[in-house]
Amino acid sequence: MNKDRLLKQLKTAISGEENVKVVAGIAERVVEGGINIKVAIDAASQAIRLVGDRFEAGEIFLPELMLAGEKMKCCMAILQPYLKMDEKSEVSGRIVIGTVSGDIHDIGKNLVATMLTMGGFEVFDLGVDIAPFDFINAAKEKGADIIALSSLMTTSLPYQQEVIDLLKEMGLREKYYVIIGGGSVTAEFASKAGADGWAGNAATAIKLCDALLNSGETPPVAKTFVGQKGGNVC
Amino acid sequence: MLIDRDRLMLVLDRAHTGPVCENFKWDTEVIPKTIATNLRKYELQNTCNPDNPINQDDELVDRYFQAAVDTAAEVGMLCLDTHRVIKFSHKEIKKALELAPSEFAIGEGDEVAVFRHRSFEDPTPPIWISPLSIAVDEDIFVPLLEGIARIPEVDCIEGPSFETIWGNKIRSGSPYELLAGKRQANLTYEALRRAGREGMGLYVVGTSPTHYGVLGGYGIPGGYKPERDIVLILSPVEMKTSYEALHKLCQVYNCGGGRVYGGSWSMIGGYAGGPEGVSLSSIATTLLLYATYQASNGASFPYDMRYMGNCGRKALWAQSIVFQALSRNTHICSNSVLNQVAGPATEMLLYESAVGMMNLAVSGVSSCTGTRSAGGKYTNYLTPLEIKFAGEVFKKTAGMSREQANDIANKLLPSYEGQLGNAPKGKSFLECYNQDTLQPSDEWLKIYETVKDKVIKAGIPL
Repeated sequence: MNKDRLLKQLKTAISGEENVKVVAGIAERVVEGGINIKVAIDAASQAIRLVGDRFEAGEIFLPELMLAGEKMKCCMAILQPYLKMDEKSEVSGRIVIGTVSGDIHDIGKNLVATMLTMGGFEVFDLGVDIAPFDFINAAKEKGADIIALSSLMTTSLPYQQEVIDLLKEMGLREKYYVIIGGGSVTAEFASKAGADGWAGNAATAIKLCDALLNSGETPPVAKTFVGQKGGNVC
Repeated sequence: MLIDRDRLMLVLDRAHTGPVCENFKWDTEVIPKTIATNLRKYELQNTCNPDNPINQDDELVDRYFQAAVDTAAEVGMLCLDTHRVIKFSHKEIKKALELAPSEFAIGEGDEVAVFRHRSFEDPTPPIWISPLSIAVDEDIFVPLLEGIARIPEVDCIEGPSFETIWGNKIRSGSPYELLAGKRQANLTYEALRRAGREGMGLYVVGTSPTHYGVLGGYGIPGGYKPERDIVLILSPVEMKTSYEALHKLCQVYNCGGGRVYGGSWSMIGGYAGGPEGVSLSSIATTLLLYATYQASNGASFPYDMRYMGNCGRKALWAQSIVFQALSRNTHICSNSVLNQVAGPATEMLLYESAVGMMNLAVSGVSSCTGTRSAGGKYTNYLTPLEIKFAGEVFKKTAGMSREQANDIANKLLPSYEGQLGNAPKGKSFLECYNQDTLQPSDEWLKIYETVKDKVIKAGIPL
């Protein structure tokens, strides 16, 4: 098949209604067809940015966004091993994310996890009702840079603080940035809890993580990074 | 009115034997595809009209209802703990609606609140349940609630919730919640005693969203009373349930209670899509809440993910569709929750309340719970005055025509809609109320009087 046509198919499949299997099939054909892998990854990235823009504009909704995120993950898993050594770029960062203990709400967490995946981070979604120890164990196991904690209810907020406290007690606080968010979480709480970052919406979470990883500061940061509406991080 | 054991056992059985579905597939395929299919089948796409946020088209709401019955029967309720779907046939859904009461009461003595099914534009005053379970400091729980219970427009009590118990942080799902169940009952009774309204019906247990609060506080000596109070069973999102919810239902059964509030929400921008999908999803979820929890009161209500509230045009329109559809096609006592985003001592909070409460009153809800002052995000950002104002609007707009309400909404919406994404936080109870006299500050009272004058001029008969 014509190489340009295959790349166009890949973009359409990621941004359109095709399922993960279809994307996997196209990605495999890209590899078999000897197409420049870097070019193919750029094409996939363009497609996922388009999906993000359409979500921000209210043209598509959470299910389409989540599905596109999964398709991108699958595509990258197939293409990345074939990148030439000098073309390999490190992922932006590794993040473990979940909703804390006693809280089974997942919309906000799913949205942030998907946006971070689309932003080039390697994201490990632990799910909901995750105990403080399980966040830390997962961060160790996955070699995470950032632990992202979601909470909707005021009664689950203390568990965000507990993850931070537990990291300190285990002598691991300087290993991981901790960012927090969710319906009941304010920037003031984040600062009081000693979190490294807080963002008020999913789109800002990408810039927040970028800012933390490029800050040159070892966790815990001196002053909580705050992701503001419009994308600025201060 | 008791929980029927056969229906309860059927639900529990299906939670363990129903079709298996993974959460991701449910969220990204089952819900959005079924919603999209039924929107097409019933020609409901692009029916949202933000220029007329309060619907006046009866045929449209009937189509939404029929589409919702199909959706509920096709989808069912996913149990998050077993990953199995609790399915109901069309016949079972209709039967559950028939069995739901068209009238019921909670509370006792002079304070009995009688909930009645309301048609839209119905002059019957709806029931005002206040406050929502917004967190407050433990030491101001009683005086704040006393101030709220003194408001004559408030019929029943749900919140607030406290963040600590005897000085210790309450943690969701922990033993603290078990203690909080009874502690909240005790503090609430004390506040009601001080307000002289001991018999008010209570929605329980706001401080504890998991089942532990109900297990620790409902039907036990000194706790909430099954013969007069109602248990909140809230699903985390549309068309999902969990052991937490089913544990609560079992406790109601064990205690010989029968009053259950079934609630959930559906987000504009979330799994069900835009305002049309969310309207359909909310009605379908409501049918499933009544079938699963044997609810006496409640509903699933629309919410807008972009600003985490429901006083903007699309969310108002979706609420009008949902509650008009339920009002015209069932005899249930539906309830909505109004979610404001501005905080106390701001004009915006009162404008949001005026438009939102009027919409619900004319769209046929039996009751409403609120207010969610400052989006419910900040500790102590809740005062009696905004609750009084919302209650006044709710009661006084019962009987108004939808057309008139829509005209008024269009006059008032420009006062606040531009700020929905960046609402003022306002002031806390400690900053704008006298703790001893329980009176608002002059500044807050002046804001209340100014907005009251403006909404009267716009046509709300306060």
